[in-house]
Amino acid sequence: MTDVPAEEFLDLDGGRVHLLRGGRGEPVLFLHAAGGAGSWLEFHRLLAGGFDVIAPDHPGFGKSDDFDEVEAMDDLVYHYLDVLDRLGLDRPHVVGASFGGWLAAELAVAAPHRVGSLVLLAPAGLRLPEHPIADLFLMTPEELVAALFHDPAAGAGMLPAEPDVDFILAQYRDMSALARFSWTPFLSNPKLERRLRRITAPALVACPADDRLVPVEHGRRYAERIPGARYAEVADCGHAMYFERPAEFADLVTSFLSGASR
Amino acid sequence: MKFSFFHLMPYPYLPDDFDENYPSSALTFPNSFFDPKLGNQLYHRYLDELEYADRLGFDGIAVNEHHQTAYGLMPSPNIMAAALARRTERAKIMVLGNAIGIRGNPLRVAEEIAMLDHLSNGRVVSGFVRGIGWEYFGHSINPTRSRARFNEAHDLIIKAWTSPEMFQWISPNYEYRYVNLWPRPLQQPHPPVYIPGAGSTETMKFCAERRYTYMSVYAPARVVRRWFDGYRQAAADLGYVPDPEKIAFSVPVYVADSDEQAHREAQPVLEWLFRKGLKQPGAMHTPPGYMSPSSLRGVLMAGMKPFYELSYQDLLDGGQAVVGSPGSVTRRLRELHTELGGFGQLNALFSIGPSTHEQVTRSAELFATEVIPELRTLDQVG
Repeated sequence: MTDVPAEEFLDLDGGRVHLLRGGRGEPVLFLHAAGGAGSWLEFHRLLAGGFDVIAPDHPGFGKSDDFDEVEAMDDLVYHYLDVLDRLGLDRPHVVGASFGGWLAAELAVAAPHRVGSLVLLAPAGLRLPEHPIADLFLMTPEELVAALFHDPAAGAGMLPAEPDVDFILAQYRDMSALARFSWTPFLSNPKLERRLRRITAPALVACPADDRLVPVEHGRRYAERIPGARYAEVADCGHAMYFERPAEFADLVTSFLSGASR
Repeated sequence: MKFSFFHLMPYPYLPDDFDENYPSSALTFPNSFFDPKLGNQLYHRYLDELEYADRLGFDGIAVNEHHQTAYGLMPSPNIMAAALARRTERAKIMVLGNAIGIRGNPLRVAEEIAMLDHLSNGRVVSGFVRGIGWEYFGHSINPTRSRARFNEAHDLIIKAWTSPEMFQWISPNYEYRYVNLWPRPLQQPHPPVYIPGAGSTETMKFCAERRYTYMSVYAPARVVRRWFDGYRQAAADLGYVPDPEKIAFSVPVYVADSDEQAHREAQPVLEWLFRKGLKQPGAMHTPPGYMSPSSLRGVLMAGMKPFYELSYQDLLDGGQAVVGSPGSVTRRLRELHTELGGFGQLNALFSIGPSTHEQVTRSAELFATEVIPELRTLDQVG
């Protein structure tokens, strides 16, 4: 188990990437959600029990630089190909959550040969007008927390009672980076669904059953379109899945990646 | 001193449970509350008020742009300006402004303002705004591109107005292979440009560099003072002192025959404006990326209360509304003139929230006949 990850910075053209890294085993590139940049949570700790987990902050998030030239999802895919090259990772496992799940799918579509296996956790990214993703940009922080958790008590501690200016600005910067990539089309790439057939890696799509932000139909559609993908749901859990059910999600991911790596 | 009569064209008929059950009068406030018959009457009443202000001798009559809101019924300010152009004679027709940050096709703005310049015989003033936060939701424009879109659209429009020959325009957000404006504007080189500022030092510098009029948005006088000083400093950095007329103070004004009557009538309509009309949660006001981190830090550190938390007395004390008899309003505006370090234009809102036509016309009339003559020579050059 790795309780305290190593902190690293990668200097790339265009800026510096911050990442956390811990554990031993095959490398896992973990792509964070809209929230969660720079966090090393119980989920990461559990996953690092079997793998070398590498969790960078996306451009504009956490402690990574803005990378102004990374304007849209296609740029973000190239950015992560640069990150893989810089880390010397040829074909890591790629695990992405929510926004990071969308990014992981795009990466696997653009460069199937660079992804050893693929795990999408409650992924955004598909345009399903009949199952709209909730507008997190319009929510108050309190509404967002209420929407993220199946059990509101589980989310009670997420917001500081008296947020200071630096906390508000850090949150605003993360949300601004998210908006840069996903304001319109809203959290989706309309072309992605028909491209998913390009993915060659073994894939698992796992969703929390009570997802009030990204309806489970999104995950199910991914699983239908990615050749050979498996699908799993975790009961009594909201979109903040690795906050609310870290052990269940870490188990699912660990056992899938362990099988996929053989 | 110049005086303009500004209109927001509010839709004042909100439901009784508005305060409890609706987070805002904008974006998600159901349009089922818009009664077409009442709305139709409002448009004609409001245009009558603007025309009346022209006859009263206001130097300008002003309209603006807002979308999907009961706060203001002018999604297209240029249509309102067109309706006024041939029915008014003297006043500048001030479009304050076109929200070029959210326009899909800013070249259309250059064309329409040029047309308005001809319809009004050279009386048009062209304000440019970025568009308010919720409008980036409403028109699906990425707020993280707001500043860039505004700057590019502005540069394109100015070049379209002034270029004597066809050109191509290529910038990150816009591409036009053929820009060849017909008609060219009547005013040369182009109509005067006004930019509202809300504390961004980038905007102060932008205006000072181009010698544009810098106009405040609604805020306490102590805060507006800092903005005006920032603009004056930006001009000083460029080696000049701005003409006082390039600084415009925006404020709601309510004049009645006596102080007592003025306050009795003004309190409910001002409370409507700030607590209902301008009610908006933070996410609507400041969508992600709409402000730079440094500007947002400035706003957070300024410790300004949200509009809906301001009491009537706060509004009066803070210089966010000016209310009273002609004599009291004259005195208060002299005080604010001093407090703000001077300004050469007053952009006054008379039609406030649910005020009646009679109240608005009486207020504007008293202001024009008894206040303007007293203040006319404030900040007179020479």
